[in-house]
Amino acid sequence: MSAISLRWRRSLLPWWFMAPALIWLIVFFAVPLFNQLNVSLMSGNADAGYHSTWAFHTYWDAIRTYHVQFLRSLEYAAIATVIDLIIAFPLAYFLAFRAGRWRNFLLLLVIMPFFVSYVLRTVAWQLILNDNGWVADRLRDIGLVSQHGRLLATSTAVITGIAYNFLPFMVLPLYVSLERMDRRLLEAATDLYASRVTAFRKVTVPLAIPGIFAGSLLCFIPACGDYVNAALLGTSRQYMIGNVVQSKYLDVLDYPTAAALSFILMLLILVGIALYGRVLGSRNLMEAAA
Amino acid sequence: MSDREKIESALEQFFADERLSRRRFLGRGASLGLMAGGLATAISACGSIEGVTKRRLGALQQAAAGVNHPKVPIGTWEFSNWPLYIDKKVLKTFNQRYGGTVKYVEDINDNYEFFGKVRQQLQDGAPIGRDIVVLTDYMASRWVSSGYTMPIDRKNVPNGKNLTATLRSPGWDPKRQYSLPWQTYATGLAYNVKLTGRELRSIREFFNPEWKGRVTVLSDWHDSAGLAMLMRGIDPTTATVDRYLEAIDYVGQQNSKGQFRRFTGNDYTTDLTKGNVAIAMAYSGDVVQLQSDNPNLRFVFPEEGAMLAIDNMMIPEKAAHPYAAEVMMNFVYEPEIAARICDYVNYISPVDGVREILLRTDPGVGRNQLIFPDKATLERCHGYPALSSGDELLCNQAMAKVTGA
Repeated sequence: MSAISLRWRRSLLPWWFMAPALIWLIVFFAVPLFNQLNVSLMSGNADAGYHSTWAFHTYWDAIRTYHVQFLRSLEYAAIATVIDLIIAFPLAYFLAFRAGRWRNFLLLLVIMPFFVSYVLRTVAWQLILNDNGWVADRLRDIGLVSQHGRLLATSTAVITGIAYNFLPFMVLPLYVSLERMDRRLLEAATDLYASRVTAFRKVTVPLAIPGIFAGSLLCFIPACGDYVNAALLGTSRQYMIGNVVQSKYLDVLDYPTAAALSFILMLLILVGIALYGRVLGSRNLMEAAA
Repeated sequence: MSDREKIESALEQFFADERLSRRRFLGRGASLGLMAGGLATAISACGSIEGVTKRRLGALQQAAAGVNHPKVPIGTWEFSNWPLYIDKKVLKTFNQRYGGTVKYVEDINDNYEFFGKVRQQLQDGAPIGRDIVVLTDYMASRWVSSGYTMPIDRKNVPNGKNLTATLRSPGWDPKRQYSLPWQTYATGLAYNVKLTGRELRSIREFFNPEWKGRVTVLSDWHDSAGLAMLMRGIDPTTATVDRYLEAIDYVGQQNSKGQFRRFTGNDYTTDLTKGNVAIAMAYSGDVVQLQSDNPNLRFVFPEEGAMLAIDNMMIPEKAAHPYAAEVMMNFVYEPEIAARICDYVNYISPVDGVREILLRTDPGVGRNQLIFPDKATLERCHGYPALSSGDELLCNQAMAKVTGA
């Protein structure tokens, strides 16, 4: 009897450890997700109310009407992620290998922007990119912006804003994966007559892949759903799918379409991640992360 | 092989491939079935999002006639308003004079957005935690007709008699039993004379190719479509929904030509003061304030006419402190207090007697045509339409398409 109960208790133990996280996931993720799935299949209008009718056509209508914004979201998020990778890799490399006693201070600088609200930081970019500001003037001087051209309220501004806002999410995972690297591997590579470039290409980059993977996901996923940058730095011609969802929920009160749009975005991102993981090799990722 | 044998061998093949024993297969099938059944019942049990039952004006008026909010201590109560819409010192005076504490929250940035945030509670008949909210005509009328507001006990608001005559009887609340104007404002043409190089007078300037890409218009179709209609000589107050949809369509065509830099809410002010745009569709009171930063800014009531809107104080249904709310309403309808608010916010005050006070205390404001427009100007101003909520929704959807969201 007692043996059974002991075995029971043993087998229950991991569940007890997982319980807080599980309950959290169920209450704040699974239930709302399920609720939204239900909402996305309703039909009606704000006055008459919305009722479950298995209205799958909402999905089709949403894709047909808003495919431009979907593609734009993916495009902006992808460009911003690539920009972040290009900026963050040298930075993380420097932090991991060359920063010496400045390292902690520099890391603090990387996360410093988080002390200020996201929206405020984006509003600051409104002022930086402003038509009569220093940046726009200099770019006009060197001919990158035409005489009557502008920076603010263009896709350049929106992508810049996204890239800026998500940069720390790229730097930190990259830094972690580079910092953990065994330096002796580089020595071994040079001992085997690899040039520094080859050693970088064959040793450093492959070992940084988990960081690149984590960093690009952390940038790309929230960037896809972002609407603050497009709202503050862009125009209606730069609106992303997040702006549409926000307007559907709060202005037009069209909950089913808003929910359907959210699910489509989720699906697109999941498929994207699966492909991306396949390209980088998920087994390598798991092993490297372990 | 007979058909039956074929099926059996196919089944055997299936189980061999799947490496499932028959029992496990049945078990799994049953649990899947249970799950699917559970999902289906859960989905149908999740029910639906309730709609609105409109109440007739007569019933509303009757309900308001019997209202009685007894005198109680003020306590701690909450007032939701738009940003920068009061001189905060006025709140201090209120607390000192009547006791209690007013929690003044500037959390209304957009009528629809605010409604979107509290809609669920209002629908469920739950309190939204606020004792006064300030909403613009079309949203105010929607709240009143949906039964989301509590009648005002006008016995507690004797100063309500100072409400200026033209605002006393809107169609949706003819006796002002559910609402009292907070401020009124005109939507018109603001421009930076240094960038335009000349004075402007007409609504046509919004659509003039000369300013292509250097114009912002308001994303609220009541304003943008309203002004576009005035340009064509249509009265926006009495126009039908079809006229509005045409006007929204026209704004959309202009937008696809790149005429407008952005659709904005109140945030056009940054672009206008920074010189990013030459022309903005703007609210009169904002521009009075902006002029002190940038003297090149001008606001005109266009020659074709301007839109005139009222922001209304209302007590949400189930509010916990209706008496405190009424005392506050009474307080801000004292001409001296109304003058202090007007002197700070520079909008058009709905309270009679304010101008006389300001001519004495702050003549610059008292003489300002944007804050105290003369009779001829006011005659050119047109109120918002009284469309049904279904028609409002149509216009919202059409405008959302135009603004790209």
